[in-house]
Amino acid sequence: MNLPRRFLQFPALCALLLVSGFGTHAVVKAQESSAPMSAASVVKTHVYASLDPVPRGKEFQIALVVDIVNGYHMNSHKPLDSYLIPTTLTPQLPPGFTLAETIYPNGRNKTFPFSPDKPLNVYTGSVTLRLRLTAGEDAPLGTKSVPMTFRYQACNNSACLPPVKIPVSVEIKVAAAGAAARAVHPEIFAASSAK
Amino acid sequence: MRKFRCGWLLCAAALFASGLVTACRSSSASNSATSIQAAPDVTFKDLNGADVSLASLKGKVVLVNFWATWCEPCRSEIPVLIKLQDTYASKGFTMLGASMDDDGRKSIDPFMATTRFNVNGRDKAINYPVVLGTDAITDKFGGLLGMPTSYLISRDGKIVKKYIGVVNEADVVKDVESQL
Repeated sequence: MNLPRRFLQFPALCALLLVSGFGTHAVVKAQESSAPMSAASVVKTHVYASLDPVPRGKEFQIALVVDIVNGYHMNSHKPLDSYLIPTTLTPQLPPGFTLAETIYPNGRNKTFPFSPDKPLNVYTGSVTLRLRLTAGEDAPLGTKSVPMTFRYQACNNSACLPPVKIPVSVEIKVAAAGAAARAVHPEIFAASSAK
Repeated sequence: MRKFRCGWLLCAAALFASGLVTACRSSSASNSATSIQAAPDVTFKDLNGADVSLASLKGKVVLVNFWATWCEPCRSEIPVLIKLQDTYASKGFTMLGASMDDDGRKSIDPFMATTRFNVNGRDKAINYPVVLGTDAITDKFGGLLGMPTSYLISRDGKIVKKYIGVVNEADVVKDVESQL
């Protein structure tokens, strides 16, 4: 066998190997996409505070931005049936803070292949949950962590994942009453700034 | 020379085949298992607190369905499961609904008492045994990522198919019939 002829065989071989690799990859990917993910990996969360620092006696907000993986949804805070598990955000407030309100976005009525005639009220894509809080006159000065529990139950078009509780938290700086405070992340908090 | 070329081609074909095998293995972890394996030795509690072991159902074709009352896809497939029980129970088949509700009977009892499903235009209650599932039990099945997940078990106690997500009625009927 001379060298040029051997090289002539290479394109066919490479093509076969490529087809083998790509074909396998495509099949595996298609099957992986139909398998449910773990409940915790269905969302990415980001937490923000509206003021920096937060002066004592001042109202401020905390926002939890939830990015839901494409192809999945979660029940809204007000699902249409009582047996469905609602999305909730529950703060464990440190001393000196009071919760005025938890603001949940409206869900969207949507039908799914498993429920073509009966819509479900769900969150998809990116949603923002907000807490309206006040730092009291006795709130401890300095940096404080505000822990929260985010609970949700997600499904895709065919199967549901168990409900999960994810701990989230944000650090805020508490300053003396009357201290200058800067509004941060206006793109997130602007919609509720009138409150 | 021709021999040599054939060798290369065989080599490539083997690589492709091994890729397919890998893909098929991945399939068993995703939406259906085709490799036959023994069903785990597990014992459920029924709604009266009595033991129901899978071993006690040997000799029957069993479809174990892991579900929960809060799971809308699970509820949506129940009419199909009721029909399976209606049609095949007399031929050596049984459904076994394993509830994964965290609060067990607190959710299941009222559900069983009040919830009815439209089966061919008639309101019907669940007509098959419902038991309480646990994480320890699902672990023995290889873990449960989503619900519904169902396992078709042959008369001799082998898992012959795994379904993740809502079952396709035509497929599950064909699968059950193939085991009877």
